[in-house]
Amino acid sequence: MTADRSMVAGKQEGEKPELDPGPILEVDHLIMNYRTKDGYVSAVQDVSFTIGRGESLGLVGESGCGKTSIAMSLMRLLPDNAEIQAGKIVLDGDNLLELSDEEMRRRRWNDIAMIFQGAMNSWNPVYRVGDQIREAIDLHWEEKPTVAVANARIAELFELVGLDPAMMDRYPHEFSGGMKQRAVIAMALSCDPKIIIADEPTTALDVIVQEQVLEELRSIQHEFGMSIIYISHDIAVIAEITDHLGVMYAGKLVEHGLTEDVFARPRHPYAWLLLSSTPSVTGPRLNLNPLEGEPPDLLHPPTGCRFHPRCPFATDQCAAEEPPMEEIEPGHLVACWNYEQVPEMKAESA
Amino acid sequence: MVRYLTIRLLQMFVLFLVFLTILFFLINAQPGDISAQFVGNPDIPPEAKQILRERLGLDQPLFAQYLFYIRNVLTLNLGVSFDHYPRTVADILLTALPRTLYLFGIATLLSYIVGFQTGKMVAWRRGSAAETGTMVTSIILYTVFYPWFAILMLWFFGSQLNWFPLGKFLTPAQWFDAPYTANQVFNTMLLSMFLAGAGVALVVWGTGKFVAEPVPRTRARRILFALIAISMLAFWLISPMSRYAADIAYHTVLPVTTLTLVFYAAITLLTRSSMLETLREDYIFTARAKGVPEKVIRDRHAARNAMLPVTTSFVLAIAFIIGGGIVTESIFSWPGLGLTLLNAVNVEDLPVAMGALAFIGLLALFAHLVADVLYAFLDPRIRVQG
Amino acid sequence: MTDVTEIPPVDPVLEPDVPVAKEGLWRTRIRLWNRSFTKNWEIFSRNRLGVAGVVFVAFFGFLAILHPILMATVWPEEIYDPVRGNDTVILEKTVVPDGEVTDPITEISFTEAMIFGNFFPEEGDVVLVGQAPAPPNSAHLLGTDPFGRDILSQLMKSSQAAFTLGVIAAVSAVTIATTIGSVAAFYGGWVDSWLMRQADLILLLPLLPLLIVIGSLYEVGLWQLGLLIGILSGLGATAIILKSQALSVKVKPFNDAARVAGGSNWHIITRHIMPNVLPLSFLYMMFEVVGAIFLEATLSFFGLLSIPMSWGIMINTAHTQGYTLFGLAAWWLLFPAGLSVTLFGAGFFLIGRAMDEVVNPRLRAR
Ligand SMILES: Nc1ncnc2c1ncn2[C@@H]1O[C@H](COP(=O)(O)OP(=O)(O)OP(=O)(O)O)[C@@H](O)[C@H]1O
Ligand code: SF4
Ligand SMILES: [Mg+2]
Repeated sequence: MTADRSMVAGKQEGEKPELDPGPILEVDHLIMNYRTKDGYVSAVQDVSFTIGRGESLGLVGESGCGKTSIAMSLMRLLPDNAEIQAGKIVLDGDNLLELSDEEMRRRRWNDIAMIFQGAMNSWNPVYRVGDQIREAIDLHWEEKPTVAVANARIAELFELVGLDPAMMDRYPHEFSGGMKQRAVIAMALSCDPKIIIADEPTTALDVIVQEQVLEELRSIQHEFGMSIIYISHDIAVIAEITDHLGVMYAGKLVEHGLTEDVFARPRHPYAWLLLSSTPSVTGPRLNLNPLEGEPPDLLHPPTGCRFHPRCPFATDQCAAEEPPMEEIEPGHLVACWNYEQVPEMKAESA
Repeated sequence: MVRYLTIRLLQMFVLFLVFLTILFFLINAQPGDISAQFVGNPDIPPEAKQILRERLGLDQPLFAQYLFYIRNVLTLNLGVSFDHYPRTVADILLTALPRTLYLFGIATLLSYIVGFQTGKMVAWRRGSAAETGTMVTSIILYTVFYPWFAILMLWFFGSQLNWFPLGKFLTPAQWFDAPYTANQVFNTMLLSMFLAGAGVALVVWGTGKFVAEPVPRTRARRILFALIAISMLAFWLISPMSRYAADIAYHTVLPVTTLTLVFYAAITLLTRSSMLETLREDYIFTARAKGVPEKVIRDRHAARNAMLPVTTSFVLAIAFIIGGGIVTESIFSWPGLGLTLLNAVNVEDLPVAMGALAFIGLLALFAHLVADVLYAFLDPRIRVQG
Repeated sequence: MTDVTEIPPVDPVLEPDVPVAKEGLWRTRIRLWNRSFTKNWEIFSRNRLGVAGVVFVAFFGFLAILHPILMATVWPEEIYDPVRGNDTVILEKTVVPDGEVTDPITEISFTEAMIFGNFFPEEGDVVLVGQAPAPPNSAHLLGTDPFGRDILSQLMKSSQAAFTLGVIAAVSAVTIATTIGSVAAFYGGWVDSWLMRQADLILLLPLLPLLIVIGSLYEVGLWQLGLLIGILSGLGATAIILKSQALSVKVKPFNDAARVAGGSNWHIITRHIMPNVLPLSFLYMMFEVVGAIFLEATLSFFGLLSIPMSWGIMINTAHTQGYTLFGLAAWWLLFPAGLSVTLFGAGFFLIGRAMDEVVNPRLRAR
């Protein structure tokens, strides 16, 4: 199998593993639709991005824009009515979409783990939390460890995420929401995945716990050098902990770049509106540009640029032709015909 | 859990008292003098009548009679049968009880085990031809008018194919010089089954508690299960009772199968819908994301949780099962509590009828308790807190 | 026997709007129901088993309605009355081996000779055959029972009894259960725990044995039985199920709106909670009918009810007259009645299941 178990040993001694250069994950022109009785829901439309080793990517966008759909496509855990029409998902050199079901099953958690949206219910109520983590370990470690070894590892992970190791013998109903969420993180780390997808991992938590959990997640990621995809509709949360940022609108990735670049100068009108309507992370509240109009119906997505019905900069071309993803400066990509028109954030503030 | 079970036990005792109260008023609300009903049997000699009157407290006011009645039932002092005078009601019922337990126990156990497996499989393969077939069969079995179905089973397998005896408990010709009474043999059978069941439960619990590593645990279980099976087998091979036990067992096949089929259908339908609900839970998704193989997801994650509602529903099914048991006993002439009740009702043997009803009520409560204990074991949210 | 069915949490499709005006509320509601009826029927009719259930029930409805018409027109009472009618024809017949009957008027097969009461026939014997039970013939399409009564007429009369009993039991059970469920959910506290403890207790009553004893001690007819079953089930299992539905309705915002608008408790219960429980109540009526008809047929089968005619009594007659093991040879005695109870129960059961899919979208197959 692909995972190098010596890494586990390495971690136990607290060493920091070397980082390989090059992308760990490449998503290439991914198109995914849901089949419904009213037609196809275009949930992921021609999305491409890459993530380097040890890097973190934030995906933001309003509810229903297809963030979870991308995550599920990466895990290949889509519901029965989902169809991946085209594209590649290359994880560490292998196209996941070409693997057999059994190969993909082995990869899950081992190479690509997940922290779910609403992790509250992701624990099976009838088994001890520790046993559920051990299930993942037993499945994926190259050599199936004895219960004692596995438990030692779980205890270590519990400490890492700030849980009392004694809790591993408890049942999920004995955990608070924040504790369950931390345990989910421990479980995600249990097989040293190359990449972790965190889909709104903190939405159900109160603000203080949310910050603590995020902080832990970030320090763990830095310490172990794993990559992470961080999904949220709260752009402020994401900004603090990711290197790269992707902004999604109606199933499309419309802007992608270094978090600081996108924050400093969003070039896509939607990203610009989103950022300027969000309370600033650091400074005072920026001038609010409310997003007008209805969220798009993905059964019948708008022609051309999907944002054109709501876009203040829309022209005739926007309704007719789909803007391509263009690299407007190194590492900063935007899909907009009129990105040059988008004013600077500074001009809008104050 | 101890606390939970103590509370349940107390509740059940209260429920039983309420049940007895209902029975008492059922008799007393009847037109005519209750004492005439109870003691009016012409077969009973006058001096015995007087004793009975006093024993039953029939010379007392109503409330005292009520207390008397409760005390009598709780001390198994249920009076004397009209029809089988001078056999006591308690004696008649205690003879019949094990037979009913046997029928009820085996049919319930079998139908739950097989029905659960079937329901699990068809929910897993939703939309397959196997699912449609099983669903149609189960709905037919579940909605068939049970007495009619039992008659057809008896006719087809007993009379037409001649595979099984036409009801009854044993073949009298084989028993006339038997060194044992039917009940001795029967109770030994029941006891050995109970011991085997208890042994299995003990092994599962003990190995789960004291053997941590899964591999030696499975090995230990296999060895101990084999040991139990061998000792059971050895006992029945050596025992001179086995000839007679075989005769009884042969007579049980048809009634047990018939009763089992109907519950089986109900459990299959129930498990299927419970399983379909469970498969939608988030933790099933988690298991998939963890890369747990599909079969393991089905058995360890989905089915294990689907068991909970199925166990709860057992409480609702108790009345259904008891009803089915009575019909079965009547059609297959199986001399258990149900047949005793029906015969008593037909010859207006009131003491036996009321006693049988009290026993059946007790049986229902006991089944309820078993379901509660099982549920508490299955659901850590109850097990761990209590 | 009570039915063992899933007890799903429910999302009613029939959800009325937030009340606009107090007066027109019921009218608005009925309009909304009408509108949703078409949509719901569409969902319902996608369930083929459910449609089969409707067909079964309609068939028995047809039989029940046809009976008085036939009795008034073509069926003379002394022959076709389901209880007092009699038509026994006595014929001389020669016994021949099974399967060699060429003229059924003058010859009789070995087995049939036995069925008609000649227990040790020999070939060539001339036996007197009282045609009761008579196999189906042109005068009696489904033959006659051991007392020479017309089976088809009995079957039709029994359908009437079945509908009567089913309606009494279902309506009384669901009325009681809806009220209790709504009240328990609305008030909560000790009212709730009292009513639910009571339901637990009734759930534990072994219903069939209890009814057996009651049936032997008292005269129990259709009405008494229907009410008894209805009350016991309405206070028991059905109340528990409907309460959980009422509880989910109770927390909906329009109740607060109604309360702010000054609605009394009773007003809120009857105008807001109950109408939302009704779809589920209606669903449980279907299962109630199944339970009631099975109980009735079983008790009649044991001969414990004072009902003139029912399917259970027909089976009981065949059983007590010793025709149980004749199976197919005397099929008209056991099969029409047994199948009728089965199909009648199955009809309502299937309708209930299909309605369940309408009321509870999560059960629907995608
Ligand atoms: N199983 C499904 N069948 C049909 N449509 C679906 C299905 N799952 C999701 N969708 C649709 O696909 C679109 C994208 O959904 P997705 O869950 O990916 O959004 P999201 O960005 O994660 O939203 P949120 O922030 O609310 O979690 C939505 O319009 C949704 O309605
Ligand atoms: S392409 Fe046109 S419509 Fe789309 S975001 Fe750019 S300006 Fe607005
Ligand atoms: Mg999402």
